[in-house]
Amino acid sequence: MVMVYILSILSFLCIIRLVLGPTYFDRLIALNLLVVIITAIMAIMAVEYRRHVYLDVALVYAVLGFVSVIAIAKYLTGKELHR
Amino acid sequence: MNEIFLIILVLAAVVAIEMKDLIHATIMLAAFSLVLVFIFFTLQALDVAIAEAAIGAGVSTVLFVVAISKTRRHE
Repeated sequence: MVMVYILSILSFLCIIRLVLGPTYFDRLIALNLLVVIITAIMAIMAVEYRRHVYLDVALVYAVLGFVSVIAIAKYLTGKELHR
Repeated sequence: MNEIFLIILVLAAVVAIEMKDLIHATIMLAAFSLVLVFIFFTLQALDVAIAEAAIGAGVSTVLFVVAISKTRRHE
């Protein structure tokens, strides 16, 4: 349970960078890091409480979490999105 | 710990409304969806959390980015 608190503090630091960040690179990388940290918190809590239903949420978010980052990064390259 | 994430949820929503650049607002909306997934997870509403993860990360953000790319970026 100590790891959950440590990762919570790290996620708070990510949220500070997400709110304050001057450029969009800061915000995009902070968002990607926040997805990874919260997925790790979900997996640790699944092990802690011994309920493997919790792992499904972490699995779904790990599969779908990068789609938004890929879409925003592809928009920021300046090309069309649908090709 | 849950109350702190609720405060962060309100903060992310206010920042996403007040942004002038719409890409920044979309990124903050994705963060809002992520924090909301974690709050649903800690409240043990697991199927709601799975549905919110699929809609918020997969569909909603991509839809907003496609809409911004077909219109103008700054408000």
